[in-house]
Amino acid sequence: MHAIIIDKVTKTFNKFTAVDNLSLTVPRGSIYGFIGPNGSGKTTTIRMIMNIFYPDNGNIEILGEEHIGSSHDNIGYLPEERGLYKKMKVREILQFYGQLRKTSDLNNKIDYWLKKLEISEWADKKIEALSKGMSQKIQFITTIIHEPDIIILDEPFSGLDPVNSEVVKSAILSLKEKGKTVIFSTHDMSMAERMCDYIFMIYKGKKVLDGTLDEIQDKFGTDTIRINAEKASSVLKDITGIDKINDYGQYQEIKLTDGTDSQDVLKQIISKTRVNRFELTRPSLHDIFIRIAKPEAEDINPNQN
Amino acid sequence: MYKILILALREYKTAIRTKAFIIGLVITPIFMGGSLFVMAFFQDRVDVDSKEIVVIDHTNMLSSALVEAAEYHNKHEVFDSARGKKTKPEYNLEVVAPDSSDLLAQRLALSERVKNKQLHAFVEIGPDVVFPKNDPEKAKVKYYSENSFMDDIRGWMNWPLNNKIRQLRIAELGLDQQEVKNMFDWVEVSGMGLLTAESIGQGDNDAKESNPIETILIPYVFLMLIFMMIIMSAVPLLTSVMEEKTERIAEVLLGSVTPFQFMMGKVIGSLSVSLTGALIYVVGGILVVNQLDYSSYVPFDLLPWFFVYMLLSVVMFGSIMAALGSACNDSKDAQALQFPAMLPIILPMFVMMPVLREPLGSFATGLSLFPPFTPMLMLVRQATPVSIPMWQPIVGLIGVVLFTILSIWLGSKIFRTMILIQGKKPNLINIIKTAFSKG
Repeated sequence: MHAIIIDKVTKTFNKFTAVDNLSLTVPRGSIYGFIGPNGSGKTTTIRMIMNIFYPDNGNIEILGEEHIGSSHDNIGYLPEERGLYKKMKVREILQFYGQLRKTSDLNNKIDYWLKKLEISEWADKKIEALSKGMSQKIQFITTIIHEPDIIILDEPFSGLDPVNSEVVKSAILSLKEKGKTVIFSTHDMSMAERMCDYIFMIYKGKKVLDGTLDEIQDKFGTDTIRINAEKASSVLKDITGIDKINDYGQYQEIKLTDGTDSQDVLKQIISKTRVNRFELTRPSLHDIFIRIAKPEAEDINPNQN
Repeated sequence: MYKILILALREYKTAIRTKAFIIGLVITPIFMGGSLFVMAFFQDRVDVDSKEIVVIDHTNMLSSALVEAAEYHNKHEVFDSARGKKTKPEYNLEVVAPDSSDLLAQRLALSERVKNKQLHAFVEIGPDVVFPKNDPEKAKVKYYSENSFMDDIRGWMNWPLNNKIRQLRIAELGLDQQEVKNMFDWVEVSGMGLLTAESIGQGDNDAKESNPIETILIPYVFLMLIFMMIIMSAVPLLTSVMEEKTERIAEVLLGSVTPFQFMMGKVIGSLSVSLTGALIYVVGGILVVNQLDYSSYVPFDLLPWFFVYMLLSVVMFGSIMAALGSACNDSKDAQALQFPAMLPIILPMFVMMPVLREPLGSFATGLSLFPPFTPMLMLVRQATPVSIPMWQPIVGLIGVVLFTILSIWLGSKIFRTMILIQGKKPNLINIIKTAFSKG
């Protein structure tokens, strides 16, 4: 049985089609990454899974059941825009969300997660006293405290420093080990590459990518070179056979034009400068994203990749 | 229902723990009862400086009565021996002859003296006051001062002047003052309630005399209690939902509950807050009234009506306020919507007096059957000594129940649509369109 089946779902707001005839199957126990530029339909899709929005057409099945209008206690949901009651204490708020989902053995679970996310000493502090990163971790716990089978995280790493990102990442992986299905949306392509079993990209309401990272990269072929060369940025301008250059500072990623032999390109570069690294590779997820979504994807930070 | 109760419990705990609730509980009755007390207190804060008044008496017969009355006043009414202090001003009257050659100049000179604070006022008694003839202008007594409409001394002069005029007219007719004394006994019409077989059976010989406690105070207290409970529990839902929306708590909650559960949790939380407040006031009030030996005035038969009406109105207005709050993006939006939303709560306060005066009139009956007004106005009518037809509270109650259900239904539609829409200015027309849209 699949965790989620989205079948030909469409959602419009006035005349704007936010999600257009979308079908998607999320296997149980997998980590599924949702990527796409801002406003492409990720959050609307997630809100439809959560029953916050109802689709205009199509069906959504959760764990084998259609669930339009029903409750969703078997899903943990961390929205992108999130806040907590500032005057409540950490433990009180976790108890509140735990009770809302009838969580058994609640206090022990609260203690376990506070310890796992390294915030036990803040249990009796009010939310308003916490840093943004700590609040994010509390919100993460409110999402999974009732041990749902499906966990949906909309931008779980936004606002977290690298240390806290690692803590949350390991928590997500531990949930996967317990057999939970995790869906998360992100703009951090490297995190998606490293964590996700499957990646789904939505663009202008339509599905444009869906599959494992390998499957997706295979579709785009071996047309990319990563190179580290002296004065590369000026030298590469004069090389023929290059379609596009992404300059990451420490190295450059080159997309070749169709039919270009990579050896020809290497020869041209060697004739002009010293090459320290030359790697023929498949395009990164970041590059694939840019190829599909540019120029709309201006919010993507190349340094993340 | 379980989730609604968990949400309601959080709302309730949050509300009653706040200082605003506790302070509101204490301050509001002090403020409302206190305004009466303050008015009574400041009523005595009058100017006690002596008042110099000139009297121009064209009749030459009436000024003596005023002078005598002023002397009596200065001797017996100025100093309150019980409180040991002067509580009223002395009246020093100076009688001057009319300047028949230039009366206008005399009035002008006296007016100047009033302006210069040498005089408080001057009075001119027309020549035909005692025996009016054809010229009504000459039969007037005119009181000239800077604020003569609000001047107490003008009113004080009425009795000594009229008493003297009466005496002079009796003397003119050649009657003996003592013989005609009874002619001037003034009779007040006493306001009575109605007799009941039950009260006669208990040995009463007559109906009870009606009094302001039963006629005004009890309806007023009921009206104020419902008003206060709506203000304390239902109205804050507007800003509290707005905050949950702007602080992005709403969507987190919507991951666990449906929009309907979310809204009803808040409304039932408010209901519990209002019930707590009302019980504190009602139980506390009954205890105080018992201590003061006024327990016979407590309308126990109306208390169930009061609680039913109060709870329904909190749910009714709570749903509306929560729905409006869901459409707001900041406190400015909330302020803009708060006034129109408060109108149906405030309007019954304005029409209380006409309703009290004629509880059976078509105005009072019609308004009290309009569901948003019913909880307050029907209760006011029921609380007066007048018996209103029994069908009216029952029909009113059915109307309120139906209107409350409608408010919840439309409110939840607005709430579900608006709670996640960010950055769009709310306006009442769009909100109403949303309420009546399909889906």
